[in-house]
Amino acid sequence: MENLVYVALFAPLISSLFAALFGMSPRQTFVGIVSSVLLFVSMLASLILAYHVYQTGMPIHVTMMEWISMGDLFIPFGFLVDQVSVTMMSVVTLVSTVVHVYSIGYMDHDKSFNRFFSYLSAFVFSMMVLVMSDNFAGLFIGWEGVGVCSWLLIGFWYHKPDQSREENPSISPSWAANEAFIVNRIADLGMLVGIFILYWNVGSLQYDEVFAALPNLSESILTAAALALFIGAMGKSAQFPLHTWLTDAMEGPTPVSALIHAATMVTAGVFLVIRANPLFSMTPEVSFFIAALGTFVAFFAASMALVNRDLKRIIAFSTLSQLGYMFAAAGLGAYWIALFHLGAHAFFKALLFLGAGNVMHAMHDELDIFKMGGLKKQMKWTYIYMGVASLALAGIPPLAGFFSKDAIIETAFNEGRLVLWAILVVTAGMTAFYSFRQVFLTFDGDERYKEFGIHPHEMYKFVLVALSPLALLAVAAGFFQGAFHDFVTRLLPEYEMSEHTHHLALILGAIVLVFAVGGIVLAYKKYAKGLRRDEKVENGFLYKLLANQYYIPHLYEEIISKPYKMISDLMWKNVDLKIVDATVDGIAKFLYKSGDGTRKMQTGNLSSYLNWMAIGGILLLVVAMLSAMLG
Amino acid sequence: MENILSVLVFFPAIAGLLGFVVNKESARVYGITVAAMEFFLSLWLWFAFDGNNAGMQFVEMIPMIPDFGVSYYLGVDGISLFIVLMSTLMTLIGMMSMNITKNIKNMVITLLFLEMTMVGVFLSLDAIIFYLFWELSLVPMLYIIGAWGGPLRIYASIKFFLYTFMGSLIMLVGMLFVAYIYHDLTGVWSFALTDWYALVLPVSYQLWLFAAFFIGFAIKVPMFPFHTWLPYAHGQAPTIGSVILAAVLLKMGTYGFVRFSLPMFPDASVIAITPIAIIAIIMIIYTAMVAYAQKDMKQVIAYSSVSHMGIIMLGIFAMNAEGIGGSVFQMLSHGIVSGALFMLVGVIYDRRHTKIMDEFGGLATVMPKYAVIFGIMLMASVGLPLTIGFVGEFLVLIGFYQVSPIMTILAGTSIIVGAVYMLSVYKKSFFGPITNEANKTLEDLDVKETMSLVPLVMIVVWLGVYPKPVLEPINNSVKAMLSFMDEKAITQEAKDMIKVAKSTQEIK
Repeated sequence: MENLVYVALFAPLISSLFAALFGMSPRQTFVGIVSSVLLFVSMLASLILAYHVYQTGMPIHVTMMEWISMGDLFIPFGFLVDQVSVTMMSVVTLVSTVVHVYSIGYMDHDKSFNRFFSYLSAFVFSMMVLVMSDNFAGLFIGWEGVGVCSWLLIGFWYHKPDQSREENPSISPSWAANEAFIVNRIADLGMLVGIFILYWNVGSLQYDEVFAALPNLSESILTAAALALFIGAMGKSAQFPLHTWLTDAMEGPTPVSALIHAATMVTAGVFLVIRANPLFSMTPEVSFFIAALGTFVAFFAASMALVNRDLKRIIAFSTLSQLGYMFAAAGLGAYWIALFHLGAHAFFKALLFLGAGNVMHAMHDELDIFKMGGLKKQMKWTYIYMGVASLALAGIPPLAGFFSKDAIIETAFNEGRLVLWAILVVTAGMTAFYSFRQVFLTFDGDERYKEFGIHPHEMYKFVLVALSPLALLAVAAGFFQGAFHDFVTRLLPEYEMSEHTHHLALILGAIVLVFAVGGIVLAYKKYAKGLRRDEKVENGFLYKLLANQYYIPHLYEEIISKPYKMISDLMWKNVDLKIVDATVDGIAKFLYKSGDGTRKMQTGNLSSYLNWMAIGGILLLVVAMLSAMLG
Repeated sequence: MENILSVLVFFPAIAGLLGFVVNKESARVYGITVAAMEFFLSLWLWFAFDGNNAGMQFVEMIPMIPDFGVSYYLGVDGISLFIVLMSTLMTLIGMMSMNITKNIKNMVITLLFLEMTMVGVFLSLDAIIFYLFWELSLVPMLYIIGAWGGPLRIYASIKFFLYTFMGSLIMLVGMLFVAYIYHDLTGVWSFALTDWYALVLPVSYQLWLFAAFFIGFAIKVPMFPFHTWLPYAHGQAPTIGSVILAAVLLKMGTYGFVRFSLPMFPDASVIAITPIAIIAIIMIIYTAMVAYAQKDMKQVIAYSSVSHMGIIMLGIFAMNAEGIGGSVFQMLSHGIVSGALFMLVGVIYDRRHTKIMDEFGGLATVMPKYAVIFGIMLMASVGLPLTIGFVGEFLVLIGFYQVSPIMTILAGTSIIVGAVYMLSVYKKSFFGPITNEANKTLEDLDVKETMSLVPLVMIVVWLGVYPKPVLEPINNSVKAMLSFMDEKAITQEAKDMIKVAKSTQEIK
């Protein structure tokens, strides 16, 4: 079994290095195929490991070699395959394999085809390191690794020029990539601090040793560590106020958005909270903060999705919103439900994104859903896929999203957090509305794209086939809730609804369902027949506020980017050159000038020399007298 | 080989002297050969080095002026070993990548002399010998900047020379004073560092002496506010000058702190923790901001050096093995990465004869190999895990966290502000469409450039993934130094601050 751990981990790395060999040569289909096969191998290994862990209930722990050892600090490359990490490994490799195959079709006209596969596989490797490491430093390797791959992939089309924010809210791929990297770095500092706190209080960074030592630590230290680690999670999972990068990250190719910015990397923050659940369970204040922030983000992001016109950005907002749900569950102590939603979400959200990729492919990279409509005729399968994924996202039974999301909402009720519960219920309705607004505007109604002279066509057959596992899982994953619960709660704390909630479960479910169906019906009424724009609403304050993302990107630019640039300029031109350096030069000039000045005493004239000598003698006498008097 | 250290110090100089009779056409090849031999000699030193021995090895001692206790005294331990290796490596790589045509023979000879002084500084265990090499290293660099530099070369080289020279004179006074006290206490003269270590000085003496050495080292590092010579020197120096300056010469300052200030003045060092940490934090944040404001690519790298040296300074004064060991490793890391970055700037300068980033844009399209190597070095510079840059930075920060969490968080912003200026350089130069006609026909890296950059890339990855062979000897020597400092410290505060690693205590 140990070898399988290495196979699962290193197959993506080999894939990446293999593709990198051809990184600068023209497109070669076999690069994509070899990469996909290697990813498939990694997936198989992960699934076998999952089955093994399921059968035996025993985690597999391997230590490959020593990494950093200095003073009392010892960090190995160690990998842990237990119920939590094997779940993540399976989800990550499964979605990655589909995305790799999909990319063979999607990127087939791109001249940097080979380079794309290199980056994509490198990302999967980093993600595997992130989920498999047995210590916080190893997690941080993966954490930063996925950050870099995300930077490379968002900026994949680096040659595009910068545009104004009005033309393109993300300015340019390279701008969006840098934004994502820098925002994540801010959060990473929090994560590092969390690691430092744990190290100096426990003396180790290994999960098992840290978790075993937690009961001996004081409450303030636990709170500080939990908070610092959660700041790290906020960056990767794009929680408010570090959320702006996620929608801008949509500048990357769509498979990237599906894999990194929906299914896997952005859930790393949730994974961290689940992984470190012994710590978070001991810090109720931090946990409640996580739940509250998660709920807020769920609602906040859904509200922005309501009015957006960009196919990918709508899905990005919905990802943000669903991440909020996951944090809500994790914060409320229902770690296994959070993990369950993480997995289910990965499947249907990846499907949704890849479906959107098909639409973009058909529409020549047009993203404005107001310019689409009636595509279901040309793109039947994509329509079905996106429809299924949207139903799952909206939480319609018996699809995956129903089970997982309903459990989260029920948890909020069960914990007595009725405000959170109400917000989550309303958000579920909003989710259904914006998802189907998008589906109807894209696939139903009048064929507005004809005005723009676009002739859409369905995606390649093999791509559609490759998507089928995701569709299947989006439909059926919910039925495995019981088995999944039994599997992961061997490691994660048990969470069950109280008797009271249990009685009300049907009514609670019905309330959520009413909101969800209501949202769909509303979307159907408004958009299924075609697009009727309401100028009055669109010029309204609320609409504009939402469409401009509450003006938060503008705000950040005004209060962070621009002042930073300004102060930097000031520091350089005024402080560094005019004060620090000028002082140094001033001292040098003074010495030079005084030397130059005294040089003029050397006139060669004997009488002036005698004069100077007399003055010097008198001065010396005075000094001697003074020192004699004082001394 | 018993006297390998002497061979290491004087081989380049003797070869440099012989270089005068070498034909002008073959000067470059001659230089590379000598530098390669020197590098292999230093590799040999590493293999012969006993990593488990924390003390000085291969010690050579020949009395020179016995009346004053001045002797030719060399030795190497885990701290200096890798800095020497890095110096010989960077000289070799710099020589390989050099594309100077004017007076190439003079350049090669100068570089070989410079190599002697660099290796000499890191191997000397006698203060006078140390001081000799320290000052001698200024001369070749003065010549390199002054003779092959840009339009402001005279100003820049004189500023560099006088500024650092002034600092080291004050350091010399400090050295003479230590020797005087030593004579006072023991009745014999000695400039041997190992004798000086045994000297237990009152705190007030320590503070004065610490200050004297501080000025000498701080200007060299360079620490804020003594850093302004550096942008001029880098701005005017030819590529090879910048590479050596950033990679090796700056390390003399930080090495001085580790070799002299900490073990000789432990109490004063502990008192200096807070002020130095504040300066280090200013270096980290302030110069990172200044770097962000630059328009010239080389100036960005120059200021980024100051910022990274701030991290090194912070680690040295963490007073625990994690921090000091991390600093020593960071010295190597910064040497390799900044050296490579200066070489990379040189690559584009050779093609376009400008370093202003507005002139570039979209270079990744025409020069993909160049963009890849630049990207890797960029990531190493911002401290990405599994590159060389992470190990040192992580150790320094984790080490200093024990001293002050707040200051560590402030210093930790280095990972943010560092990313800001480096990514902005990359975006301005490599991303976007090609707007400037002159960039459309640029050629990618040629064989010579690839040959000199690829080894550095390999080291960056190797030491990022498997730093153990380097960390282990550093770790042993640093731990030994700390327990020595702890024993020697007079005040209780200093004893409390200096953290002896648990693993060393167990051995005792």
